[in-house]
Amino acid sequence: MSLQMIVNALVNAALIAPPAMAFSLLFGILRFPNFAIGGYITVGAFAAYTLNVPLGLPLPLAAAGAMTFTALVVWGAHVVVFRPMQGQSAITLLVVSIAVTLILENLIRLFFSADVRGFDIPLQRPWNVFGARITPEQVEIIVWSLVIGVMLHLLLAHTRIGRAMRAVADNPMLAAIRGVSAAHVTAFTTAICGALFGLTGVFAGLDLVIEPLVGWNLTIPIFAAAILGGIGSPYGAILGAILVGLAEEATILVLPSTYKIAVGFVIIAVLLLVRPQGLLGTAEIKK
Amino acid sequence: MSVYLVSMGTYVGFFMILALALNLQWGITGMVNFGIAGFYALGAYTSGLLTVRLGVPVGLAIPAACLAGLGLGAAVALLSVRLREDFLAIVTLGVGEMIRLIVLNEDQITEGPRGLRIEARPFGTMIAPEHYPLFYLGLVAACVLLAYAVCEAIRRAPMGRTLRAIREDDVVAAVLGKNVLLHRVRIFAVGGFFMGLAGALYAHYVQNISPEVFMPVVAMFIWMSVIVGGAGNNRGILLGAGAVMVFLEGTRFVGDFTDALDAEKMSALRIIGIGLLLIVTLRLRPRGLLPERKFNASSKLSA
Amino acid sequence: MAETVLATRSLTSGYGKAVICQNVTLDLCEGQITCIIGPNGAGKSTLLKTIAGVVRPISGSVCIARREIAGLPAASIARSGMAYVPQEANVFRQLTTHENLTMGAWTDPRRAEATCARVYGMFPDLKPLRRVRAGNLSGGQRQMVAFGMAMMLEPQVLLLDEPSAGLSPLMVRQMFDIVRRVNAQGVAILMVEQNAIEGLRIAHRGIVMAAGRVALEGTAQSLLASNEVSELYLGTRA
Repeated sequence: MSLQMIVNALVNAALIAPPAMAFSLLFGILRFPNFAIGGYITVGAFAAYTLNVPLGLPLPLAAAGAMTFTALVVWGAHVVVFRPMQGQSAITLLVVSIAVTLILENLIRLFFSADVRGFDIPLQRPWNVFGARITPEQVEIIVWSLVIGVMLHLLLAHTRIGRAMRAVADNPMLAAIRGVSAAHVTAFTTAICGALFGLTGVFAGLDLVIEPLVGWNLTIPIFAAAILGGIGSPYGAILGAILVGLAEEATILVLPSTYKIAVGFVIIAVLLLVRPQGLLGTAEIKK
Repeated sequence: MSVYLVSMGTYVGFFMILALALNLQWGITGMVNFGIAGFYALGAYTSGLLTVRLGVPVGLAIPAACLAGLGLGAAVALLSVRLREDFLAIVTLGVGEMIRLIVLNEDQITEGPRGLRIEARPFGTMIAPEHYPLFYLGLVAACVLLAYAVCEAIRRAPMGRTLRAIREDDVVAAVLGKNVLLHRVRIFAVGGFFMGLAGALYAHYVQNISPEVFMPVVAMFIWMSVIVGGAGNNRGILLGAGAVMVFLEGTRFVGDFTDALDAEKMSALRIIGIGLLLIVTLRLRPRGLLPERKFNASSKLSA
Repeated sequence: MAETVLATRSLTSGYGKAVICQNVTLDLCEGQITCIIGPNGAGKSTLLKTIAGVVRPISGSVCIARREIAGLPAASIARSGMAYVPQEANVFRQLTTHENLTMGAWTDPRRAEATCARVYGMFPDLKPLRRVRAGNLSGGQRQMVAFGMAMMLEPQVLLLDEPSAGLSPLMVRQMFDIVRRVNAQGVAILMVEQNAIEGLRIAHRGIVMAAGRVALEGTAQSLLASNEVSELYLGTRA
């Protein structure tokens, strides 16, 4: 494996680690694999695009706006769609979450034409690091992804709301008995996760292209990273993201690159069969 | 207009077979399958490739497609031994995507995105071309009836009660001496059989199949049919599949009369509509339009 | 007679249409232990869950210090000076011992530091385990964490659902000892116990439940002495 492939794998990992952590947090509280994340990421990418290109805001501001907007969308979807369906089975909710992704994706198709888009940023020459090429944007993605990992860790481990988030995910009944309002914690969690999905949309727009399927195409690698790391273990999600990134790059060595998107599925299938609790996780995903 | 109705009826038939098969797997037995598009593709390409590449007669190619679905179904069912249902959902989705990717990439055999042209049609030489669409509608309708009869028979048979017991609690069912795995494999295989059949019927109807038809969104439409219709109730499933398909195709028809929206936007609106249909139905009728009748009231109480 | 700190009147509850507890009326007096015994399925645990707000009452009333709490959500009842320790899943397994204790003072975090020291004083064994995840503790240690968490806000009333369940005989004795010590500090305790003789021995009053109703009620002494109780529920003949 060449240095270039390791660089590519790291960029991929940095792209999917934050949403994998967010997916893990959401799963902890809502208890079903939420396919709506694909739609959320797409919304983030297009929100940032709208603020950046037609409205001419600088990208950092556009990114902040996109994160806020996506957080609102995720929270709104929770209030309007998922919360009233709490009694439904995980599978029904899963189907509904795919429907949410389809709705968001097609709303965007309705308002934006199918052209491939990008942000309005100056073209920069890639840097050459020991023969491997890496663009300044990719470096930014890696740095920000690390910053977010640390911030999320501080939030979960050292703040009152973070402790409550873990407590509700762990044992919602006991959390209620101790006086934790599940509604507040859930609202906060959806907003944080929404911001992370929005940011992922921005990153995806920087590293890939902005199109309605951008989120859907990232969904399975994100699931794979979260499951690999162990559902409910945000730190495991980071490790999972790196492994998924490496596996995707390694696949290109032996198979046509069109098979790359199957890597996530294969990882999920093999891992679930061999070690259902994930690498670091303890949560039960076995029956 | 009547040509259009006949063609729509035929498509409704494909959907009904797929939905009945999914209802058998999920609605009655509680096994998740999000790889429907893969089963559908497997059936279509098995039958298509057998006739095109090997010159196998249609009368043998279609049953072979059913058997391919049966085999894949049995294999996937073995996964359900270890996986919780929501994760089985992801794995089956992956199985479906893998099949599509193989079809897309191995284009020396499948023609990939160029599409596979299939000349052979069941009784193609015996029936006049102008009557053929109507004949095919009849053929598909007969297959729907067959699938319905088989699914109803399974549901009503003593085995149906066992299957529902497995759905509600597989541990209890196992403790009661039911061979859960054997039942699961059988039912999943029967479901796969009918999905293969639907694929083969589709292939010989459109006579030109390409991988982009078998996107995961097909699985979504079938799931919506089952949930909207009422999981567990075969008649509800027919209604659900009909409703979803009529909605999808009917709005296409509306699109023909308005110039305000181009095809791309119209198709986006259609998918938004179907997503909303699902959400609204679940809000208003959480158990579907025609819910399954409770088979055992006390099982709910002890839950 | 001492003042009543917890009272239920004709409390009826259940799940959906299935009524589990019917017309339960009981009084828990200040500083006393009341032990509820009865066969499996008698509705003992459901009664505690209803009082704690985990199961919604169908009818009847629950008062703590004369304040009506029936029908309030569990999260509000948590602020009423009553703490409930469920039988199972009574700790946050992913959180450390110390984090579990702080969750006990969720509704009043300013008091957490002071009461934490008190709880560690009560359970010195927990001190070296501060940073250990509760899921990795032994059954007895977990029970102490659960108990300690409930003590964090210095409740007046403690609801204990089978504190001795699943513990070794040695731990059972320790657990009952802890219950007695907590009670000695003036905390009134309503306790469900399978271990009927042990439970009644440390209790002041006893309630026998059967088929969702109160079948017998009296001082713990009188229940221990009654032939009816020993034959029906204690499995011993007097």
